[in-house]
Amino acid sequence: MSLSRLRFAIRHSLPAVAVLVGLTGWLPAAVRAQQGTVAGRVTDQASGQPLGGARVTVAGTSLITQTNADGRYTVSRVPIGQATVRANAVGFGAQSRTVTVNAGETTVVDLALTLAPYSLEEVVVTSTGDQAKKEVGNAITTIRADSLVATRPITNMNDLLVAKVAGVQLLPSPLTGGGGRVRIRGTTSLSLSNEPVYIIDGIRMESAVGSSSIGIGGTIPSRVNDINPEEIESFEVVRGPSASTLYGTDAANGVIVIKTKRGRPGPAQWSFYTEGGIIKDYNTWPTAYRGWRTGATGSTNSLPTNGVQCILTQTARAPTDPQFCRQDSVTAYNVFEDPDASALGTGYRGQVGVQVSGGAETARYFFAGEVSDERGLLRMPPAFYSKLTTARQISDVPYDQYRPNARKYSSLRANVNASLSPRLDAGISTAFITSTQRLPQTDNNTTGLLSNGFGGPGNKNNGRLGYRLYTPDQFFSETVNQDINRFIGSGTLDWRPTNWLTGRTVAGIDYTGRVDQDLCRRDQCAPIDSVAITGNKTDNRTFFFDYTLNADATATFQLNPTLVSKTTVGAQYFKSIFDRNGAFSYNLPPGATQVGAGAVQSTGSSRSEAKTVGAFVQQELAFRDRLFVTAALRADDNSAFGANYKAVYYPKASVSWVISDEPFFPRWSWINSVRVRGALGFSGNHPGSTDALKFYAPKPANVDNADAASLVDSAIGNPNLKPERAREIELGGEATLLASRLHVDFTYYNKRTKDALIARTVAPSVGSGNVTRFENLGAVVNRGVEFLVEGQLITKPSIGWDATVTGSYNTNFIADMGGVPPIIGTTMEERQGYPIDGYWQRAYTYSDLDGNGIITANEITVADSMTFVGYSQPRWEVAFTNGIDLFNRKVRIVGMFDLKAGHYLLNGTDRIRCQSRNNCRGLVDPSAPLWEQARVVALRESGTTTQFGFMEKADFIRLREASITYELPLQWARAMRASQASVTLAGRNLWKSTSYSGVDPESNYITNSASTGSVNDFQTQPPPTYWTFRLNVTF
Amino acid sequence: MARSHWPRSLRALSVIGLAALLPLHGCNSLGLLDVTNPDIIPTVNSASGAIALKNGVVLRLAQVTAGIGGNGPDNLFIYGGLLADEYRSGDTFVQRNDMDQRRWDPTNTFLAGPFRDLNRVRAAGATAITALRQYSPAPSSNIGLMFAFIGFADNLAGEYYCNGIPLSSVVGTTIVYGDPVPYDSLFGLAIANADSAVAIATGTDSVSARVRQLAWVVKGRALLNRGQFAAAAAAVALVSTSFHYDVSFSSNAGQNEIWNLNTSIKRYTVADTEANVGLPFVSANDPRVPRATGGPVFDSAFPITSNREGIWGQFSSVAIASGIEARLIEAEATLQAGDAATWLTDLNVLRTNPSLYAPIQSGYTRGPTLGNLTDPGSFDGRVNVMFYERAFWLFSTGHRLGDMRRLVRPTAQGGYARPVNTVYPNGIFIKGGLYGDALMMPVPFDEENNPKFAHCTDRNP
Repeated sequence: MSLSRLRFAIRHSLPAVAVLVGLTGWLPAAVRAQQGTVAGRVTDQASGQPLGGARVTVAGTSLITQTNADGRYTVSRVPIGQATVRANAVGFGAQSRTVTVNAGETTVVDLALTLAPYSLEEVVVTSTGDQAKKEVGNAITTIRADSLVATRPITNMNDLLVAKVAGVQLLPSPLTGGGGRVRIRGTTSLSLSNEPVYIIDGIRMESAVGSSSIGIGGTIPSRVNDINPEEIESFEVVRGPSASTLYGTDAANGVIVIKTKRGRPGPAQWSFYTEGGIIKDYNTWPTAYRGWRTGATGSTNSLPTNGVQCILTQTARAPTDPQFCRQDSVTAYNVFEDPDASALGTGYRGQVGVQVSGGAETARYFFAGEVSDERGLLRMPPAFYSKLTTARQISDVPYDQYRPNARKYSSLRANVNASLSPRLDAGISTAFITSTQRLPQTDNNTTGLLSNGFGGPGNKNNGRLGYRLYTPDQFFSETVNQDINRFIGSGTLDWRPTNWLTGRTVAGIDYTGRVDQDLCRRDQCAPIDSVAITGNKTDNRTFFFDYTLNADATATFQLNPTLVSKTTVGAQYFKSIFDRNGAFSYNLPPGATQVGAGAVQSTGSSRSEAKTVGAFVQQELAFRDRLFVTAALRADDNSAFGANYKAVYYPKASVSWVISDEPFFPRWSWINSVRVRGALGFSGNHPGSTDALKFYAPKPANVDNADAASLVDSAIGNPNLKPERAREIELGGEATLLASRLHVDFTYYNKRTKDALIARTVAPSVGSGNVTRFENLGAVVNRGVEFLVEGQLITKPSIGWDATVTGSYNTNFIADMGGVPPIIGTTMEERQGYPIDGYWQRAYTYSDLDGNGIITANEITVADSMTFVGYSQPRWEVAFTNGIDLFNRKVRIVGMFDLKAGHYLLNGTDRIRCQSRNNCRGLVDPSAPLWEQARVVALRESGTTTQFGFMEKADFIRLREASITYELPLQWARAMRASQASVTLAGRNLWKSTSYSGVDPESNYITNSASTGSVNDFQTQPPPTYWTFRLNVTF
Repeated sequence: MARSHWPRSLRALSVIGLAALLPLHGCNSLGLLDVTNPDIIPTVNSASGAIALKNGVVLRLAQVTAGIGGNGPDNLFIYGGLLADEYRSGDTFVQRNDMDQRRWDPTNTFLAGPFRDLNRVRAAGATAITALRQYSPAPSSNIGLMFAFIGFADNLAGEYYCNGIPLSSVVGTTIVYGDPVPYDSLFGLAIANADSAVAIATGTDSVSARVRQLAWVVKGRALLNRGQFAAAAAAVALVSTSFHYDVSFSSNAGQNEIWNLNTSIKRYTVADTEANVGLPFVSANDPRVPRATGGPVFDSAFPITSNREGIWGQFSSVAIASGIEARLIEAEATLQAGDAATWLTDLNVLRTNPSLYAPIQSGYTRGPTLGNLTDPGSFDGRVNVMFYERAFWLFSTGHRLGDMRRLVRPTAQGGYARPVNTVYPNGIFIKGGLYGDALMMPVPFDEENNPKFAHCTDRNP
């Protein structure tokens, strides 16, 4: 910025600063004399025990404090006169009392809270700070992570998210360290990311899925899984634009707001946990078939080492037909069931962590440290292990080749909060994370496990123990590693200069250093080409910097005895940098492992930067503490917007009405509270950092056998580019019933994304460098319902039963393509009026006309045109969780069933097995059912080939989680000098029911795709089963 | 009391709040949103920049002809070879299998890449010409080379694609969509651009001479496609037999994709009498197509033998225009003129000169030196010989599909009116089903983003 512009900025800022100073300045002594103090104690009404960490507020002011370990609190500077003091704590209902505060005196207000598992007073984190849930006009779900991780099979953030919140779909990764894909309220964007953004302790977090510069064929890590779930106190899911407006551009896909653990006043409380477990695969993997024939020539005589065989439709031809053949026999072989050849072993998991928290009222702390080590279930099969030790003349295969999928992880966290004065709180939240991840060659990868494992010839004696082209000793010898060093730090200042004004500033940085390496030692990897044969090494080093600066101020006024006004203004600055240097070489000498050793070397670098500046104003009015009306406006500018587009404005409005508090509402004993709510809001999704620009890109060219610098047209640019704009209407309500033992919640949403950014294919005749250009063209609609029913069904001292059902239903369609032709893929199309990523294919019918039990091409009728088959994303999602407490609540058993339905999945594994691997049952085996034969014939031999038969309903129900926790007898705990101890046996992915014929309906080749794209079970590993045993000890 | 403050304070807060929203329009002027993107180059305004753009066109030409890099997008030479009888798909990708099977499917997702690359030569060539004229007008051979490249691309488009080929462009950031034109118009454009190249590259230096020879071959080839045989021969008369214009490769700039797809990763295999109609590129043991045979192709599920060309290694240059081609054009003109003896002599002069044979890589097999041909005695027989010779001399250099198309094209349009099934592979396809009826490549479905294009005007050869 030039000096003159700086002067200009300062000059124009001065009046605003002056006004702020005036507003926030110290009140005169006369005014201070008009204030009093409220103090007291908050206790559990049932037991009389003090409640530490309870939140105490004075209605109509900005005054807030927390109780200490003894349940005591003090609030000073309370305006004289009538004051309503309210206290609430997690798991308890709120209590309030109105008292008279006298100038210079202390008024004692003791409050006893009653247990209430479901309360509208629950505090949620919003973009403007902590608020009672009843004030918020949106559905916001809070998940208490700290209680889940101790008793459930939670090994990473994905486990924490899956099937926990209605409307949030997480497709998990089957690999150790792999990232899952998250969709909230459907797929919103045709061409941009559909992943939510993550806020941790007030700052934006790097959360890229598919975060690796090296592909392995399957899922790669997600930065979300860098976060240690053990350190999280709770997280909230802000599901749509109606709630995420003030989070600004990027929040259209929802926001996940993570709050890490904090210390509470009191003596140091230590907790120690350790976990061990195994990872197993219990899935049924497809068997490879082969139809043998005898012939006079090499192309007609089956040998174990050739691909010659006789397929079913050939056997049904006339003997005079040149393609006729007879099957001598049909063999079947399953490489995954052969212990000698199978790469499926047993994975292991270990985890140890310690946490300590405590402090005084003036300063609280939370420190945590953890190390974990997980080895995935893949291993080099015994036969290939032996082969390698013999061939290399070594006693042991290097461990990273023997166990190609593993992750070592450690994290340290230090959170400190201090009350520097009655007016000023400060908090620092820091985390350091380091991990080393090893990833296997797998899934859709010619030199990977599953391409070769699924594609074998149906006999073991092909020279590769039943594998197709390459064998585990080759592809597991290629090692891919990712090292992460990450620091997330934020600082918060909460300033309460007066009893009506608060100011909050949050600043922080999320830094990630990522090193991706891929090593093929010379002569060790799958010999697909000379680069692989001669050895190669990739070493890419990437740095991510995310800076956040938030500042806001809230003024709270009791306008009259029934009306409270809360006005918030705020600003945000967010900057994101991606910076990578990479090197690659091949033709390595034997034993070499570094890039510099390669005879042919190349390097590359890439950098991008994006900035957002935003500001907002929000006005909330609370009428009698039961009707809350909020209106807000956010404005954003972003460095990625086109030159012709200056700023975007996102308004929002919401109403929350605790109708049960109204005098006219019937006072039925079984109704505790009823709230209705509605919201309308806008949010956005901005394009990539260079999407608006026209530019050239440098590329090396070879001109007349000499390398030369060159420039190629890279992007046409679009100066009119602007963010996608999503508008959402949300209506809903909730009720707490039956003495607060039952809670129901229902939400309807209707989200329309206009100016949808479509990566419009540039007509090839243009000859542009870029294949697509972002244009604001279309509109996408998502609408649906979400519901939650949770209840404490039995609450006896000795036994308890609680149950939770969460569910959602989504309808998604492209409302407008902006005149762009349909985007047609091989199996998916983006068409107006149909869902994003819908499956399309030519349908067919079949009939065994000649009754010979074999379907042939003339018995298949394929439609002339493509028809819509179905959604590729589940429309229904229901999670049903039961918790049972037994033996005086010393034993707790929890089971969670996860149902997903209403969608299809392309069984791409069987498709390629039938189409080109030639080993699927429907192709070869005369006993194969007709439907299985028909889809093969339709795929291969019909006049118009179609994959229709491989698009299968993918509904399933799965026992996602089950656990049993036993609280050890107190004397056992004391023997360990502990105050409490428990053990938990837990399992994940224990059982499933589905009609899907593939390995698993959650097998997905691109589980980590942020944007749209192929959803495909294509040579993909299924989710494994985890069994874990955990010890929790509290000192 | 707080209550007493609210009207003044609330008004002030509101003012601040709303005021905070307004200056966002000025964020850029304050530099708050300034970003650095070192990966991109927004403008070219220097002589060295113009040369770099010229070099970029060389890169684009290499991409579309022999390809650069790894496993796709496939270059026109080898992908077109699938549709012709030069290559078979040894692959699991249906996009390659479908092209091998001659399926007419504009939605084949492998089609867009080469068509886009072809147009990039044209578009980038025009950009480079503008920049060269402004910042680096001398030597003029650079500008002439760009015209020759554009002409080369125009001609290839006419040979490979159906009638109704759109030619679009970009002005600033605005796309100017082009109307579909007949393939014959592309030949006309190729001729005009070749003439421009010759007219501009007038220097006596070797570079200018090379540009002119390239342009003459381009012009001769386009005239041949129009059936203007004598004019074609005249156009290439000054091209020396030893001339060849190559696209070249290196470890920095990228590898020869024909080598990669065929020789290295075996997703393609050299065809041999495909469907009993194609030419015996392997079994003829012709020295012009050195090769190695044996082992499975990439898709090992089918009993297809891997035949690997031995002309090019990983970084070998590929001749996209040559003096041999010039002599073959002259020979065909002679044949058309009815002078069979000269025609035969012209061909035999080439055949019996081993120095003209394609280079051979280590470890590959080359057939013995060719002897003289004998006159088949009939025009049809001579045409067979003519096209056989062209196919082997110009193997895998983007000529065969255009030749096959000329063979089935009506004589009134300069073709030879052969029945399709005597030229194109047909009947039962090795991976199931029957061959389709494609004679050329469709303009890919992606082109429907051009509002002036709906589909090919026709599929006439």
